[in-house]
Amino acid sequence: MNVRNVFDANRSSGLTAELDTENCWSRESLVPADVYSMPIETLEARAISIRVPALTTRASGFLFPEASQWILPKANKEKSVAGRIRPDISCDDSRSTEPDTKLRRRSRIQPPREIVKLQDRLYYLLQPPLDLLVGSGQLTFPFEPFAYQLDGIAFMFPRYACVLADEMGLGKTMQAISTIRLLLCSGEVRSVLMICPKPLVTNWLREFRVWAPEIPVAAIEGNAAKREFQWRSPEVPVRIANYELLMRDRETVLDSGLHFDLVVLDEAQRIKNKNSTTSEIVRAIPRTRSWALTGTPVENSPEDLVGIFEYIAPGYLKSDMPIQQMADASRDHILRRTKDMVLDDMPPKMFRDAELDLTPEQWATYETAEQQGVVNLEKMDQELTIQHVFELVLRLKQICNFDPVTGSSAKLERLVADMEEVTASGYKAIVFSQWVGSIDKMRPALERFGPLEYHGRIPHKKRDGVIDQFKNDPSKSVILMSYGAGSVGLNLQFCQYVFLFDRWWNPAIEDQAINRAHRIGAAGPVTVTRMMATNTIEQRIAEILDQKRQMFDALFSNDPSSIPTPAQGGGLTRDEIFGLFDLRVPSGKKVA
Amino acid sequence: MAQTVDAVSIAYFTVIENDRTGWTGGLLVLNGSGRPLEFQCTLPVRPSKTHEILFGATLRSHLIVEVIGKLLMEKVRTPLSLVCCDQPESLRLDVFCDAPVVLVTEAAESDEGPITDDMLAGYGTVPFAGGTLRAAIERIETVRDLSEKFADVPDVVEPFERIREAIREAQSQIARAA
Repeated sequence: MNVRNVFDANRSSGLTAELDTENCWSRESLVPADVYSMPIETLEARAISIRVPALTTRASGFLFPEASQWILPKANKEKSVAGRIRPDISCDDSRSTEPDTKLRRRSRIQPPREIVKLQDRLYYLLQPPLDLLVGSGQLTFPFEPFAYQLDGIAFMFPRYACVLADEMGLGKTMQAISTIRLLLCSGEVRSVLMICPKPLVTNWLREFRVWAPEIPVAAIEGNAAKREFQWRSPEVPVRIANYELLMRDRETVLDSGLHFDLVVLDEAQRIKNKNSTTSEIVRAIPRTRSWALTGTPVENSPEDLVGIFEYIAPGYLKSDMPIQQMADASRDHILRRTKDMVLDDMPPKMFRDAELDLTPEQWATYETAEQQGVVNLEKMDQELTIQHVFELVLRLKQICNFDPVTGSSAKLERLVADMEEVTASGYKAIVFSQWVGSIDKMRPALERFGPLEYHGRIPHKKRDGVIDQFKNDPSKSVILMSYGAGSVGLNLQFCQYVFLFDRWWNPAIEDQAINRAHRIGAAGPVTVTRMMATNTIEQRIAEILDQKRQMFDALFSNDPSSIPTPAQGGGLTRDEIFGLFDLRVPSGKKVA
Repeated sequence: MAQTVDAVSIAYFTVIENDRTGWTGGLLVLNGSGRPLEFQCTLPVRPSKTHEILFGATLRSHLIVEVIGKLLMEKVRTPLSLVCCDQPESLRLDVFCDAPVVLVTEAAESDEGPITDDMLAGYGTVPFAGGTLRAAIERIETVRDLSEKFADVPDVVEPFERIREAIREAQSQIARAA
């Protein structure tokens, strides 16, 4: 019962009610009247310092000598190349083609591995690219160089030891002269000795006049007193000597205190045999830089390359190195380009192997000759020399061309048939043979194709006339050449067919012959027909030649998979020549 | 600090950023024909995460100008006539050198995209060696005069490639030595 009800009840009943203050509560009693304190922990902020170190670095600096300019002063430049500066490479023109130059690959001078000091490496790396200098007119050439030629100059410029091994026809001469010119103009070299075969001296003089007209050049020639003077003449920076003369002037060159900043060997395969006198003299010339130029750095075996390296970097390559190791070691020192690699506009070169069966007459003669020949060689026993074997090889090869008794020839039959096609298409052809005798024999059958001849029996003064006639007379569809006379120095790029009537011993010589037609300016694809009598000595030699080519490719290829096995490498060695007939060499060892 | 003199020399300045090595600066000084006279380069700078957070968007500018650019300008010994750069931030290097500092538009565009007038207020253009320089309006006449003295410079963009190549060479040599 609540309080009010109790009160009402009591009032009505007369009762008195009182509040029990001890035990009852009121609304106010719900709110505490006292003060309570609750302790609260204080929040203290703490500062954590994160140190931010100042960003600093250090710098390294390199000062370069301000070398002379690439060319002589402008007045002189204009005089030196009067009328020959290409009108299309002036400063403004190059800039008008600016988007193109940006995309173009630069011909930069790259320091070789042998240069290790950073300052020296940067000196070369920081030079302007040659293509830009050419475009700006700072570097002038009488004719516009190909990009690969600028690359060649950029390769040689910083190198103290190098081999420029471009395929023939790519302009090794121009690249060498232009680099020499840059080195002379920039003051990096002051005396240069160029050594070349005697017949090429005048060619080098002529090329220097074209590509470096401002550089004084002299050929060392004349009597001993004159030569002595020329060797010592300080005002001529470039001297040209031939290999033969070097032998005569050996003492002057080696022992009289001469020193050359650069010695360049043209046709450097001449020193492939490091034991030859020529090689010994060349290697002993006091010099700072050594360059070698050759289109055929390896003719027979990797040993050829070792011989050349004995001149440019003695001891760097060793004869017993595996081919892969030799290729790796020499890579930084050799620049080798072929036409296929660098000339986008070169027409294709197609090889066609004509594997022919000898005629019955040829075959009968061949078998007899081989059997008798081998029997005779075996009888000679210890008297047997490589010369005897060679004689048999040559005899058999001649039979493969023509049967000496009947004159029958499977190759000639094929050649006549092919020539019908060539002339019907309005083209011209070159036929190469090792023997003038074979050329004599093939001529009558080719009479209707207007054959011309170019070989050792044609006098030198008539040779130019022969070439002119072949080029201009439409009735002359074929020229018959010997490898010796016709494989170098001729431009027959108007021919689209080449026939190798027989194979030369060395693929490099064959390539040179083929390149008469397949060169800069070739009119169209060049078809090369290599004739070979099957199951004869020719086939056996061809197999060895193929191995040689593989070895060559392996040495100058960046593709390790192209490296042949040791058994494949090497050229036509003494053992291999004996092996052609399964003969025992005189020492008694039988070769396979 | 380098002093501008009458003998003309042109400096190229760039900074390369590499995730692995850091930020490296290079300064190449060329003569009037574009041949090298001097090369200065820094060791790579590697900002920490803290730097990245605290500097925020200003880190790049700080590295290019105050850290790398300033140091190279102090170090260079060849008096400079003109400083070419390929990063817009580098234009602020003018506080550290007397020579005009210009942006090579074509070089900058390869990373920055098209460079327009409104992106660089107060800068004008001067044609130079097959390209366009952006120079502060108050220096534009000076730059125009200099461009005539550098008529033999073949290409205004190409030297930046040389710097990058040289820095790669220096770093690879350091790496081999390490």
